[in-house]
Amino acid sequence: MNPPSRRQALKAAAAAVLLLAATACQSAVDAQTSPAGPAAAPKQGGVAEIGVNLDLVPANLFTNSNVSITTVVGLVYDTLVRYDNKTLEPKPRVATEWKQSDGGKTVTLKLRTDVKYHSGRTLTSADVKFALGNYADPKWNGQLISTAKTITAIDTPAPDQVVLHLEHPVSNLFDLLDTVPLVDSETAADIATGKKLIGTGAFKFDSWRPNTDLTFSKNPAYWGGAPYLDGVHVRVIPDAQSLAAAVKSGQVHLARGVGYRDAEALASTPGLKVTSLEGAELQAYVGLNVTAPGLEDPKVRQAIAYALDKERIIKEVFRDKGYPVSLPWPRTSPAYDQELDSRYKHDVTKAKALLAESGKQLPEIPLTYVGNDQVFTAIAQIIQNNLAEVGIKVALTPVDSTGFVKQLIGAQFPGLWTTNHSWAQFSPATLTVSAYPFNARRNASKYSSPAYTTAADNAWKLQSVTGPEATAAYKELSTQLLDGAFLAEIGVVFEQAVTRDALQGFEWSRRREPDFSKAFVA
Amino acid sequence: MTATLETPEPVEVAVPVRPKTFLRGKGLVGLVLVGLVIAAGLIGPLLVSWDPYEQIPGANLLGPSGTHLLGTDDLNRDILARLLAGIRVDLLIGFTAVPFGALLGCAIGALATVNNVLDVAVQRLFDVLLAFPQLILAIGLAAVIGPGTTSVVIVIVCVEVPIFGRLLRTAVLRVRESQFVTASEVIGAGKAHVLRHHVLPNSLEPALVQLALSLSVAVFIEGAMSVLGIGVSPPHPSIGAVLTTSLRYLDLNPLFAIGPLVVTAVLVLGFQLIAQATNAARGA
Repeated sequence: MNPPSRRQALKAAAAAVLLLAATACQSAVDAQTSPAGPAAAPKQGGVAEIGVNLDLVPANLFTNSNVSITTVVGLVYDTLVRYDNKTLEPKPRVATEWKQSDGGKTVTLKLRTDVKYHSGRTLTSADVKFALGNYADPKWNGQLISTAKTITAIDTPAPDQVVLHLEHPVSNLFDLLDTVPLVDSETAADIATGKKLIGTGAFKFDSWRPNTDLTFSKNPAYWGGAPYLDGVHVRVIPDAQSLAAAVKSGQVHLARGVGYRDAEALASTPGLKVTSLEGAELQAYVGLNVTAPGLEDPKVRQAIAYALDKERIIKEVFRDKGYPVSLPWPRTSPAYDQELDSRYKHDVTKAKALLAESGKQLPEIPLTYVGNDQVFTAIAQIIQNNLAEVGIKVALTPVDSTGFVKQLIGAQFPGLWTTNHSWAQFSPATLTVSAYPFNARRNASKYSSPAYTTAADNAWKLQSVTGPEATAAYKELSTQLLDGAFLAEIGVVFEQAVTRDALQGFEWSRRREPDFSKAFVA
Repeated sequence: MTATLETPEPVEVAVPVRPKTFLRGKGLVGLVLVGLVIAAGLIGPLLVSWDPYEQIPGANLLGPSGTHLLGTDDLNRDILARLLAGIRVDLLIGFTAVPFGALLGCAIGALATVNNVLDVAVQRLFDVLLAFPQLILAIGLAAVIGPGTTSVVIVIVCVEVPIFGRLLRTAVLRVRESQFVTASEVIGAGKAHVLRHHVLPNSLEPALVQLALSLSVAVFIEGAMSVLGIGVSPPHPSIGAVLTTSLRYLDLNPLFAIGPLVVTAVLVLGFQLIAQATNAARGA
């Protein structure tokens, strides 16, 4: 037998290299796509990779609920209590017990004694006093500021005891206690710049590279037990398609901000799971500046509400990950009333009749939305089309997200706008005394009505969110919202979180803050 | 004894002899390709029964069919109708912004040759404009004036002004040293007369070649700005806008993307071939 020629030897070597490479690639793919199974045993170590489509804006830490802010708050900070995602019953967190007295005007909280800040300092009642006071500072634009301001005094008789004195009883106090992050008083000044974010949460903030990533390491001294994960790495991936590709390829374990169509497609991909963040509902809506020409007439506003094809938006844009509504309340809310909620169904004839009754010649109305948000770009075009059907001409005005938030907070929209809001998943009063679009005293629509303010106050001053008195108050509040029609709700929708099977134990709060304290990478 | 005649030096003439090659080969192909796209843009919308803005009930993300040849988009609109309407928008942008940028650039470039101080100032300004990558310039301008068709036009003008300005300045500096210009000056022609009748007509040829090239760049800029979300504003169609939407639904309907891609490729290739043929025809 002749020895192989040099050419044959080279061919054989090349074939061997190719085979090895193919095997290695296959192993890598297998490693990424092998499902860990639904009930894999918790495993210590590893870093969870998260992809988000928006970067952190530290100055908006108490204002905004975008994916980056909620991710940071969920990892770094604790709150006094935590609602579960099904009921509005507060559960212990940093506060272990509470007692209401004096007709709901005094609330005494007992604190854990084993809670430490990431700086090593033990949390005391003075820190809780600072955190609540800090949240009420107008510079943060905290949406629950009106509730925070009802706290007229905070006593700290013992390091583990806080006594809140309220101006009047409020039905949403625990919404505030579930929301306010327990920030560190010594470094709070650095929050707005994103230099230091020190809390008592399961993960410590290590670094933030703007528009790139955020890194977090485990807090071994966490009062709830050291997390399984060594750390969490959050990557900012602004392009929705790239974000979807990142989770599909295994570059990230969790993707937040994936488009609804992409999430629908990813749901059928082996090794991936798409979760609707139930309990943390969002509401898509159209806002109306009631001082804009034509929109001052309630009949015109109601006509707009009738003209919206909500079913189509929910089906085609949100891919059925939600349901149409006329009122902001999700079906789980104590204020939900099916009969009232069915008032504004798509009805072109009714809309035209209302416009005819109004008799107004409407000018072209600007519709503001965030231009680089694919979901709301699509919704804006559907709204434009819907309103054109009833004879209302709309000019689309895309703006950047920072400009949009500025206009929302400053009530500067020239006509219509569309976006989503939250807070309706909390106590109903929180929405109508706090959220920028709804706040009865100052809202983005510039709508004011004594009847609406009274209804909002009555719902706010209840001692309980349930019971006949609460039901009557919420019914009146809903009626005021429907008649005023300064906001036209489109639907209740759910954020879609796409996770790889390898990431297990991921939970979330009602504010969509991820909880990785019991998460692990299998 | 035989006398040898010295070959006289060739006399530089104002207008060189042009090889009649433009309408053959690349030039013809380029003209046909661009002509096809222009015809599709002008006549096409009349042949398609759907309105490019019409949101057809229930026609969400449909694949190609006899009713909708390229399918429908995420907002239930006929993709072919939007593509054909988009061609009009792109051509309108290109044929408005590029000639305007060219005129402005040529005027500035010609003026700069009159005065040395002005020339230095203009050249440094052009350096700054040329140093900016086109898309960074586009993003910056869109941030200031907002996205939309106006932004696209302004970006194209800003991109073209320094290119045409520098091109014309170089041509003017070269031509004004030519013998026929000197001859004209010797017989007493004034500066303005020389510039208008001799220098400028003989300096514009490179600009004509650049014009075709710039039209292809304009198509690219519109597409790129649309992909970045700062191009033609919704709901208006443009080739870039249709392409951007199509990229999100490639898995559902690959033909969605093929339409705008083919049109962009044909248009850019056509303009490039015209530019090359023009360049060859002027003997460069």
